[in-house]
Amino acid sequence: MEKPDASQENILTSIAESFGVQWGPFLAQVIIILIVFVILNKYAFGPVMGMLEDRRKRIEEGENNLKKIESELANAETKVQEMLDEADGDAERLIAEARESAGVIGEKETQKAIADAQKIRENAAEAAKLEHDRVLSDLKRDFGRMVIDTTSKVTGKVLDDKDQSRINEETAGQVAL
Amino acid sequence: MDFSIPISLIHANSAVLAAGSIAPDQIPGLGWFTNSLFVAILVLVAVLLFTRMATKRMEMVPGKKQNFVELVVEFLYNQVENIVGKKVAPKAFPLLATIFIFVLASNYAGLIPGVGTIGFGDRQGPLTIAVPDHSGETKAEEVVHDAAAPGVEVNHDDHAAKEHHGAHFTPILRPPTADLNFTLGLACVFMIVWMWLTVREVGVWGFIVHTFGPKGGLEGFLKYALTPIFIFVGLIEIISIVARPVSLSLRLFGNIYAGETLLHTMGGLGATFGLGKVASFVMSVALPLPFYFMEILVGLLQATVFALLCAVFIQLSTAHDEEAH
Repeated sequence: MEKPDASQENILTSIAESFGVQWGPFLAQVIIILIVFVILNKYAFGPVMGMLEDRRKRIEEGENNLKKIESELANAETKVQEMLDEADGDAERLIAEARESAGVIGEKETQKAIADAQKIRENAAEAAKLEHDRVLSDLKRDFGRMVIDTTSKVTGKVLDDKDQSRINEETAGQVAL
Repeated sequence: MDFSIPISLIHANSAVLAAGSIAPDQIPGLGWFTNSLFVAILVLVAVLLFTRMATKRMEMVPGKKQNFVELVVEFLYNQVENIVGKKVAPKAFPLLATIFIFVLASNYAGLIPGVGTIGFGDRQGPLTIAVPDHSGETKAEEVVHDAAAPGVEVNHDDHAAKEHHGAHFTPILRPPTADLNFTLGLACVFMIVWMWLTVREVGVWGFIVHTFGPKGGLEGFLKYALTPIFIFVGLIEIISIVARPVSLSLRLFGNIYAGETLLHTMGGLGATFGLGKVASFVMSVALPLPFYFMEILVGLLQATVFALLCAVFIQLSTAHDEEAH
């Protein structure tokens, strides 16, 4: 009769043999499993988890940047609006100043132009009067000479200076233009 | 009780039911190197090639292969994290994911046509290279054997053993998960990692307290009164822990081996009924077809069950008792 321990050992050995469990194939399978574990860990899980982490960080960074950009855009828009308002104010002020300045200058120039025109008119009137007097003087002299010539021809008398002067004065006195 | 009777029944029936015996077959001339070991190495190479191809040039905008690998890895990580928790997930994930992927690949390796059906022996079919000569050594064995390993002698002890069981066929390919060496090895590796994770997370004393200590936050008299019961429950827990490698390995092995057997039985049903060559050929294609779809589901299911149970075992032993903190 076999001892209980020996019997149990035989049973286990018998079961192992029936299922083909042997140290050689068993250890070989364990080694293969460990190799697959190392391969997957090194070439699949490691790089993929690293990539997923990088992508997660990048998305997070992108979202933060987006928020930052949105905030900066809002600030920029506010600043632009402020600058536009300021520029509008400045422009209006400049236009008002320009209008005011243009009014003053225009008035001054108008007055100057009026004064110049008046002066030109006075000069022209004076020149015209002088010309008129000169022409009148010439006309009187020519007319006197014509009267003297006519008188000397009609009378046949040679007129002396005294006569000529008297005739001239009389003629000039009668031709009061 | 004599266990030799059921074991001899397994021996007697395995040759009738399955294409291969319940034990993996040794490839002639290579000592203990078995056909399942050969396929395990092929699966290893396939996993290596695919992962290298998919992750050789990792890019921020992934291609199809990288995308697929990322999808699988991320999905598995989320599942593991949901079960074992955020703290333990980074440590437990590599092994659990390896278990799932390797078991799934091994299960599906068994569905590749030719696995379990190409080999040496007395069986004949449309693709038989040579007909056995029963006057001495079989010609088929010699032809295939010479092609596989020239100059290597046939192991006559193996032949005698197979002839003793009635069937004389050695498949050259066998899915690793249909070999108890593989499933037991996987379970043992897991148990070692489980033990390491448990001790690292809760410590040896923490594990003892977790197993034998009173649960449910009991205090006072009730705590001491129920201590013997909790100790007894702890002993049962220890037995269940010791039984885990056996239950894990036998469940996976049994399901995949049964599936292989089913497919081979269905494939050979025409010949078993003694139908003609054409009818047998048609039936060998048509009958296993529905079972192929079932085996696709079973392969996925068994890989999931194995990995899921491992994850649950880790969670059970590494979960910190909230009252203790």
